Amino acid sequence: MARTIISVADLSIVFDTPQGQVIAVDRVTFSVAHGEFVCIVGPSGCGKSTVLNTIAGLETPYSGAVTVDGRPMQRPRPDVGMVFQQPHLFPWKSVRKNIAHGPRMLGKSRSEARAIADGLIEMIGLNRFADAYPHTLSGGMQQRVAIARALANQPRVLLMDEPFGALDAQTRSVMQDSLLELRERIDATVVFVTHDIDEAILLADRVLIMSAGPGRILRDLGVDLPRPRSNAIMLDPAYLALKKDCLDLIRSEGRRAFDQSSAG
Amino acid sequence: MKRINILVGALSIPLFVVAWEVIARSGIVNAVLFPPPSVVAVALVEWVRSGQFFLDLGASLYRVVTGFVVGAALGIALGVLTGQFALVSSLLSPLFHILRPIPPIAFVPIVILWFGLSETGKLFLVVWGVFFTVWLSTHIGVQKVDRGLIRAALMLGTPRRQMLQEIVLLGALPYIVVGLRTAISISFYTLVAAELAGAFAGIVYRIEIAQQNLQTGQVMGGLAALGLMSFIADRLFAAVAERTVWWR
Ligand SMILES: Nc1ncnc2c1ncn2[C@@H]1O[C@H](COP(=O)(O)OP(=O)(O)O)[C@@H](O)[C@H]1O
Ligand SMILES: [Mg+2]
Repeated sequence: MARTIISVADLSIVFDTPQGQVIAVDRVTFSVAHGEFVCIVGPSGCGKSTVLNTIAGLETPYSGAVTVDGRPMQRPRPDVGMVFQQPHLFPWKSVRKNIAHGPRMLGKSRSEARAIADGLIEMIGLNRFADAYPHTLSGGMQQRVAIARALANQPRVLLMDEPFGALDAQTRSVMQDSLLELRERIDATVVFVTHDIDEAILLADRVLIMSAGPGRILRDLGVDLPRPRSNAIMLDPAYLALKKDCLDLIRSEGRRAFDQSSAG
Repeated sequence: MKRINILVGALSIPLFVVAWEVIARSGIVNAVLFPPPSVVAVALVEWVRSGQFFLDLGASLYRVVTGFVVGAALGIALGVLTGQFALVSSLLSPLFHILRPIPPIAFVPIVILWFGLSETGKLFLVVWGVFFTVWLSTHIGVQKVDRGLIRAALMLGTPRRQMLQEIVLLGALPYIVVGLRTAISISFYTLVAAELAGAFAGIVYRIEIAQQNLQTGQVMGGLAALGLMSFIADRLFAAVAERTVWWR
């Protein structure tokens, strides 16, 4: 078994809101091995983004221990990259300059950064748009650029927070397939957050199922489907069996939460 | 329909000038107080020919340009500081919000006490007027910079300094540009106040002198020159602004 690269131990996060304290994340523990692709799935508001932001170093302080590569996360680090639900591309930079931004910030020369950017532009198939500004691209293309931009610093860990959540169904399945392809070519550990169970099983080596109020991990499920995969796998009996397991779990958890809230 | 609009639009100013000429010459009004455009034109030509016009224009341009540049630079710098750092904002914003609504022209008396009729006093008035508008728009612009962009930049290892210079400043730029454009007309208002308060050259100074000599043609010529200056400044800025926010 490969060594652990991400370790989350007893992570709890409480937010102060005008309505009182909200336990967003409640004693969450898991670890991710080097090279693994892990999906976190759960209903919206269950704390998925909060967990991911903590691993990113964007959410401090927290109680518990969160380490990447053995070092605690207190602030963003270039070896941990992130793709958000919105592309958040710099509107004043061309596609190439957006992708080159990270390497430039890490002290690479203009020409080195440009070479890195051009390589990634090739990989995401946007050669024709290298000099285009973000607002001229479709949502799917923008998100490709955001992924390339995050990869430009060659992070050891890539965090993705519902990156395809804002795209239409058709674009989304194209993006899923290209992410599967991309993954064969890059050497990064991925934690991918989604509320879509199909997406989670399709992409992941392991699925962590979270429940809401307070955010907890219900189940840690291995996905033993052969790779390389594509959207076609969604008709595979093994895939369907896994999906049924997940749905049963989520349904019974939903019923429990409902009974609890009606009783209380 | 469209063509008629364009035709009428092209005739708007000539028609106005002709009507003015006819009324002023008809004897209905006092021609000394209300001279016809032909008299205004003669006064303008005389003004230019004497060479005085360029001295006046130079003096006014110097005040308005220097005051604008200094006020805008201060406004942008402090706007970035108060927009970005809560502590600086707590220290300065209440003060600025109290001073900002006082019309800059109301400072003329105290400026005369402080600086007499010197150039410094005039620049002070223009800087004062420009500063608050630019400060406020920069402050708001900085606060409205998309948090997502900042987080994305943080994740890419952007150091503090670059964050301020690249992400925050460019993110706020559309707001800053709007503030600068408003500040251009403010710089002309304050120029008027500054020159009326006492000067030795300048477009508005010339208007005032002509008024004292009952040279109404010269007064109106001065007004026309001031209007043209302000119009050209605004158009120039609009052209520059289009290029400044280049990614739109
Ligand atoms: N900065 C914050 N302040 C207050 N409450 C927050 C904050 N961020 C998230 N929350 C709350 O924490 C819970 C989990 O949020 P989030 O992690 O965004 O969920 P998810 O990504 O699964 O939809 C939600 O109830 C949300 O309202
Ligand atoms: Mg979320």
